[in-house]
Amino acid sequence: MLKIIIPTVMLIPLTWLSKSNMLWINSTMYSLMISMTCLPLMNQFCDNSLNLSMLFFSDSLSTPLLMLTTWLLPLMIIASQHHMPKEPPTRKKLYITMMILLQIFLIMTFSATELIMFYILFEATLVPTLIMITRWGGQTERLNAGIYFLFYTLAGSLPLLVALIYTQTTLGSLNLLLAQYWIDSSTHIWGDSLLWLAYMMAFMVKMPLYGLHLWLPKAHVEAPIAGSMVLAAILLKLGGYGMLRITMMLSPTINFMAYPFMMLSLWGMVMTSSICLRQTDLKSLIAYSSVSHMALVIMAILIQSPWSFMGATALMIAHGLTSSLLFCLANSNYERTHSRTMILARGLQMILPLMAAWWLLASLTNLALPPSINLIGELFVTVSMFSWSNFSIILLGINIIITALYTLYMLIMTQRGKYTYHIHNIKPSFTRENTLMSLHLVPLLLLMISPKIILGTTY
Amino acid sequence: MFRGVLWLLAGRGCVGRGLSTRSGGSTPDWTEKVSEIKKKIQSALPGGPWDPLYDTSHLPPEHSDVVIVGGGVLGLSVAYWLKRLEKPRGAIKVLVVDRDHTYSQASTGLSVGGIRQQFSLPENIQLSLFSVDFLRNINEYLAVVDDPPLDVQFNPSGYLLLASEKGAAIMESNVKVQRQEGAKVCLMSPEQLQNKFPWINTDGVALASYGFSMSSSRMQTSSGKEMTLKRIHEVHVKMDHSLEYQPVECALVINAAGAWSGQVAELAGIGKGPPGTLEGTKLPVEPRKRYVYFWHCPEGPGLETPFMADTSGAYFRREGLGHNYLGGCSPTEEEEPDPGNLEVDHDFFQDKVWPHLAHRVPAFQSLKVRSAWAGYYDYNTFDQNGVVGPHPLVVNMYFATGFSGHGLQQAPAVGRAVAELVLEGQFQTINLSSLLFSRFYLGEKVEERNII
Repeated sequence: MLKIIIPTVMLIPLTWLSKSNMLWINSTMYSLMISMTCLPLMNQFCDNSLNLSMLFFSDSLSTPLLMLTTWLLPLMIIASQHHMPKEPPTRKKLYITMMILLQIFLIMTFSATELIMFYILFEATLVPTLIMITRWGGQTERLNAGIYFLFYTLAGSLPLLVALIYTQTTLGSLNLLLAQYWIDSSTHIWGDSLLWLAYMMAFMVKMPLYGLHLWLPKAHVEAPIAGSMVLAAILLKLGGYGMLRITMMLSPTINFMAYPFMMLSLWGMVMTSSICLRQTDLKSLIAYSSVSHMALVIMAILIQSPWSFMGATALMIAHGLTSSLLFCLANSNYERTHSRTMILARGLQMILPLMAAWWLLASLTNLALPPSINLIGELFVTVSMFSWSNFSIILLGINIIITALYTLYMLIMTQRGKYTYHIHNIKPSFTRENTLMSLHLVPLLLLMISPKIILGTTY
Repeated sequence: MFRGVLWLLAGRGCVGRGLSTRSGGSTPDWTEKVSEIKKKIQSALPGGPWDPLYDTSHLPPEHSDVVIVGGGVLGLSVAYWLKRLEKPRGAIKVLVVDRDHTYSQASTGLSVGGIRQQFSLPENIQLSLFSVDFLRNINEYLAVVDDPPLDVQFNPSGYLLLASEKGAAIMESNVKVQRQEGAKVCLMSPEQLQNKFPWINTDGVALASYGFSMSSSRMQTSSGKEMTLKRIHEVHVKMDHSLEYQPVECALVINAAGAWSGQVAELAGIGKGPPGTLEGTKLPVEPRKRYVYFWHCPEGPGLETPFMADTSGAYFRREGLGHNYLGGCSPTEEEEPDPGNLEVDHDFFQDKVWPHLAHRVPAFQSLKVRSAWAGYYDYNTFDQNGVVGPHPLVVNMYFATGFSGHGLQQAPAVGRAVAELVLEGQFQTINLSSLLFSRFYLGEKVEERNII
């Protein structure tokens, strides 16, 4: 693990000591190289984990997420190049440092063995994100957005700290690998339910669960592009990852606690998809679609069946790439027209045809077109949900339809039709932007060939 | 709709979160105080944009989709129609800026307030027809729930245009065009004129066209700041208010600045280039001062008085029910008054306006001028007709200005046309492509054949 962490830490001196004209190139290239060093982690025993040290390990659940994290850093840096150049060099470097810091925390979070270390880093990821949103976000609402983001997540995760410390004192160790083998006594007391709640709430807020999702549209919309990308792609998955790990530790007798959250997720999935149909702001639409997809993941994790775990993991990776791609596309629109309203920038297919191709592919993966990995995730979740309860298929089916509806609505609104007059002289797509989009799409499309690497521990 | 426009003008660009003051409170003072307190609490609580350093709620927002420069009747009309025609509700954020919220020099408030459909250009006729319909059914468009219905003091008395021998042929062909477009006009001979309006002296009148029209004199309110624009291809608008400065990022700018549209266009870099090229074509709108006089004549014409325009160019209309009249005359090119200030020249009335009035309406030989004021025409020096639509080079600047004295009467229709252009990309209801900016460069004049 150190071979990933130390180079990432050394990216910080790289940023600060680079010359201004080499800043972006250096950071992009070196972070790409670091993502390559993450690949060998894939080579591991599929029935167990790769125990690298006392502190770090990686198994088939954390490896795809680690790959996604390290892959995303160069993409974030590429995406930020346009709106950054007017800032003084110190601020640019600070921005990149925030991104790198976030990256370090995320890598360590995903590979942590000790749950307290996981918790500390989980909380630590909030700080650079908050700084990115409030300092470099677009509008005055970002301050509000930052506060919502911070306090929702903090309030949700304080009970987690208490629960972890309690478990540490009762169990003696919070090593994740050992905790899997912890056999719990069968009779349960109501305190167990509280413990379950305490464990889960932090991740529910992070996912986000439908009732606690208010911070997400605000944070995603007001964040700068790199912030939106990392929020959508990785930070949401922290919740999913945490839930996947913790459910192995919790007693199976209190699984009835999952029901309220199942209901909230089922209903919330349909609700947020419907809200997407009404959105006029492009980024807001993508943010709500994130909530909808993550609701599927929550449901899958809560029903705890092998297929659903596979679906959840696949969906997390697929959604990470797709959502990040959609945000980059929306940002390329925003940089040209300076407005996020969809109806002011229409008919882009005529003007930027290659970008229209990326839009098309992004929309197709977003609506889970076969054989993309989004479909694999959604399909596995749907099938396992059906076996859990026959009636859930109705809501899941409605959600799939509405997802297709709003994705196509977004595609048609921005790409098709007669273009508005005032966009006919926007700058054509930069190579940088095309690179960004294709770097998102290439993993997404290549994973179709061998999705087993993202299917997680129960494959 | 009207409330939507008001909230937009308050600079927030989002539908009010229950910051309503329409609680039907007992006295205005009380509701004022309550709304102040509500505003203070609102700014402290989460849920809105706030800056921890200082209160910025009086500044315009940092971002708006459309910025309309000029808060007169045209600017507000465009804002209204943009919000009314958008399909998903709350899609577009509109910001209207004006440099003077008292409207002391705005043409809107100083206008005589007449509407006619007797134009020679079909587009003008259609614009006026729709505006007439708008004003007639104003409560359908602008009424606010729980408020008393609007009364814009709409007097459908008609508009009477007189033509001498020379102008008779033109008037006839105009009337034909007007009838084709659907205006209700009738041509009258001097005898018929004498029968209908006994107080007219039909000396020298060959033909009269009498059409449907009205006058209105009330306006709606808004807020405002000053602004500067940046150049071609860039979409930043900066706001200035005393020393405070708020850059408003926007996607579109609509120039509805009336008499000062030329200056605003220059700020955007329109017209900076070698003359004769498209870059060098300026927006030919400049302020021209016009006087309006208000007099009392006890034996003057009564209730059936139309808005009368004499062959000499003098015009007048009835105001109220007490034998008061408003009127004036367009000066010839040589006697153009200096538009630097809004001082009234009373000798102009004595020398130029009164003789013609007295000739046409003998009762006006004895009248007493009660007051007078001056206002600006946003005079289009090229062809005295409005400019509507985008600029070919500064792609996100739209014009809605230069109507040279008939802006007020065509404002609702022009607002709708510009909103359609922004939202749909083309004119849907009235095709104003002959009024685009490019005609200045191509040299195609779109002229009206009788100007007041």
